[in-house]
Amino acid sequence: MVARNLRNASGFSGGLLLFCLMASLVSARSVENPGKYFVLDNGMRVFLYEKRDLPLLHIVTGFDVGSKNETDETNGLVHLLEHCILFRGTSVRSGAEVSADIRRHGAYFNANTGQDLSLFEISLPAEHAEFALRNQKDILFGLDLSPTELDGEKEVLLEEYNQMEDDPQRNAVDLVLQALFPEHPYGRSVYGRREVIRTATVEGVLGFYRKYFVADNCALAIVGDFATADMERLVQDVFGPLPKTGLRLEPLPMTVPLKKSVSQHFERDVREGYVFLGFVAPDCNHADQYAMNVLAEVLGRGVNPLLPALLRGERDSVQTVSMSYLAFRFGGAVIVSIKMDPKDVAMIQRAAVGYLKRAHNEAYSKKDFTGEAEISAFDYLESAKNQIRFAVGQAEESGLQLAGSLARHLLLNTRVKPGRYLDEIDRVDSSDLRKTAAKYLGKGEYAAVSIVPRKREKP
Amino acid sequence: MRSAWLLWSCAGLLMAAGPSGTPGTPLREQSEKSTLATGLACVYQKDTSSPTTVVGLFAAGGKSAVPPGLDGLAYLTTRLTLEIPDEGMVQDLMSQATRLSLLCSEDFSAVLIECLSENLEEALRVAAKIIQDPLITGLRIGRTKEMMKLYGRSEEDESIVAAHNAVMKAFFPEAGYGTALYGTEESLGAIDRKDTIAFYRRFFSKPNLFFCVETDLEKQPVQALLEKYFAKFPDGEAGGIAPTPPAFPSNRDIGLPKDTKQTYIGRAFALPAPDAPNQAKGDLLETLLGKGPGSRLWGLRIAEKLAYNVDAHVTWTKSSGILEAYLQTENAKSARASEALDRTLADLQDKGITDEELRTTKTMAKARLLRSAEAKASRLRTVGLYEVLGLGHGHLTGISEALDKVTLEDMNAFIREALSPDRILRVTVGPARPGRPDDPIRQRGPVLAYSAIFLYDAKRFLDSSAARAKSSLAMSGYCWTSVL
Repeated sequence: MVARNLRNASGFSGGLLLFCLMASLVSARSVENPGKYFVLDNGMRVFLYEKRDLPLLHIVTGFDVGSKNETDETNGLVHLLEHCILFRGTSVRSGAEVSADIRRHGAYFNANTGQDLSLFEISLPAEHAEFALRNQKDILFGLDLSPTELDGEKEVLLEEYNQMEDDPQRNAVDLVLQALFPEHPYGRSVYGRREVIRTATVEGVLGFYRKYFVADNCALAIVGDFATADMERLVQDVFGPLPKTGLRLEPLPMTVPLKKSVSQHFERDVREGYVFLGFVAPDCNHADQYAMNVLAEVLGRGVNPLLPALLRGERDSVQTVSMSYLAFRFGGAVIVSIKMDPKDVAMIQRAAVGYLKRAHNEAYSKKDFTGEAEISAFDYLESAKNQIRFAVGQAEESGLQLAGSLARHLLLNTRVKPGRYLDEIDRVDSSDLRKTAAKYLGKGEYAAVSIVPRKREKP
Repeated sequence: MRSAWLLWSCAGLLMAAGPSGTPGTPLREQSEKSTLATGLACVYQKDTSSPTTVVGLFAAGGKSAVPPGLDGLAYLTTRLTLEIPDEGMVQDLMSQATRLSLLCSEDFSAVLIECLSENLEEALRVAAKIIQDPLITGLRIGRTKEMMKLYGRSEEDESIVAAHNAVMKAFFPEAGYGTALYGTEESLGAIDRKDTIAFYRRFFSKPNLFFCVETDLEKQPVQALLEKYFAKFPDGEAGGIAPTPPAFPSNRDIGLPKDTKQTYIGRAFALPAPDAPNQAKGDLLETLLGKGPGSRLWGLRIAEKLAYNVDAHVTWTKSSGILEAYLQTENAKSARASEALDRTLADLQDKGITDEELRTTKTMAKARLLRSAEAKASRLRTVGLYEVLGLGHGHLTGISEALDKVTLEDMNAFIREALSPDRILRVTVGPARPGRPDDPIRQRGPVLAYSAIFLYDAKRFLDSSAARAKSSLAMSGYCWTSVL
């Protein structure tokens, strides 16, 4: 239902935290961590995780297909497919019948498309586990699409496109990523191109579908109130008969730093001014990810971010500032978003870029000082680590978030033995932050998008 | 093949569900209410799903307590209780990742403390000091007012929020619930230090306060900490704010001009005051109309292809529920969408629902409730809201029973009354069209306010799907400002 292109800037690092947390869950099972990982004969990867505080079941099914797998000619098809799969029916049920079944079982039902993956979610009372699994199998592997149904969903998708363009934040982040990765598939909008969506045919859409929506390109994460042995049998029964296709996806090249900074300026019917800055960052399996996660927390997230303090010192009109780290499979991005009085946009953009370029000179920890200065200095590093611990704690409360993160982990992780996430975070020191800031912010060129109110004609 | 699938599906349903489909008691641990030695009430609920604690201090002074002409006073005062004068205290909280924030709503304001449970005592020690002895100075008031002006202005950038504020202003034109959360240029200019201190003294007193706690820690030690650090609130008198009933607006068409690609088209209705049966019926109507695939508004998206976003939402106050049903459509389709929305609502009002649809809607409503109860912070806000509304903290589990009790006749009578055509308020946000009424509210002056650093829909706790709809997060007049 949603093209996930950083809809909520304050949310993306949280997603990364969870992604990383899952590394711990998958790799280090224990009595306190009742998870089970297995692979079906057809190649489908499965993770089951008991969370029995509420009688709920959350299932996220992920496919290793996103806007990264599109070309200029197919940009938008994954997003269109995501919509059709959810709402346009299968060979055994119409879209209306699927919706009615979903409703009868009290299910929350959604999906999102990103640069790397497509994720399909269902969350419902745990007693309806078998329905949930069979429903997901039916819609995900049994799509049947008529030209009429496809045309109907195209119109809905174009409405979503309009909505995105009316939202300064979603629109700007989409544009920043396009500018940040000009030569890379990540530079394609996850929303797609209007023209591709308008002219898409059933054959074209189904061709794409048949290639990528197969068991061996899929991961299934189930979190909730169930007994693992029973659920494993059910998963085998429902998804086991799906065929193995032998699909092998060639890895993409890694993203490269921008050669020259790019600034774009837009006018919209808004009251505030908005600035978004993007820098290339490490990918989700890179060793620098932990330091980048802490750095984003120190500079622009959490309870004590340095960047907002600096910018608010420059201008009282700065309303919100956040910095987030988005880790993809073949690259990453740091996105800074700032909302302020429109008249201060240019000045604040300069100040923000200037500060980020100098962030490798900061003293982040008490240990960077000596003598009395050490006693009075504030330990930003320690604070950020506590903030991450807190965020991980909060993340453990939501079953659907956990399931989504597990599915992402199963599809994106390439490390053989990922360490425990919080242990890795604990190992980050102040010099790691400076090195990371120097490597990705100090030397890196950036992509900027600013949005200001449209000039009104005088009556 | 199709019939086989359906047979299986139905058989599954028959085996799984009782009369209403989902279990009645969602939570493993029930909430308990008791009175602390300090005289303050405390609702406690244990939840071991994470090593974190959320403490909410709820005060009876929300938007309803704001006198005419002083829009923004509740938010301003509550925000000032979180000003930390001592740099050392700030650093202590920051280093432990403790979050202080505030929530300002129709009938209450609340201060929330979120921390790793291991740091609870330190968090409460610092929070208690500043909340019980706030530094209310002219300088701090001035600075907070400036911040509120920014928040208020940015509300207008989101159609759904602007429309919601216009609806509340229309139903409650005089004061209270209809006031701008962040004030207006004029009202902020009128508020002085004495107003702020008077508001604080009135509502931050024992009879007007209670705690809610969601934690993995045991009850006794948590209560002991609350008694130890929050012992200084004065006795005072109960706030005695009489809830203002909604007034049916004389102007039934509100148009907010905005140069966007989509037009927001909404309809709003006043529902009865939320006793348990009415709250259950309001929740069912909201679910029936706008929640998820297969809802009544869903047809406007999937069959009529008019929108990506369709939704319905109820804002509960002590005096009523305000139901908003809306869609956002391409400007060229706005006339058709407006007709289709009216037709959908009229059809529901006229024909009502079937027994099957009621059963399905109950199942959906209960499942949404379960999902809302997963995370501690969202559950705490829901429990606090129910307590403030007089439904009681136990309503989070009791609502399931209240939903079961709604009969088809009850529901259809409720729908007929609630959606009566003579009670519709129409709202449009989008490019101005010839013949569309100008907005009397906007003409009157700036700013129906919302927005802050973080905004949470009350229904975020009642439906985790809201996390995916940024715009709907901002609904309901709930404002959630992260202070630290």
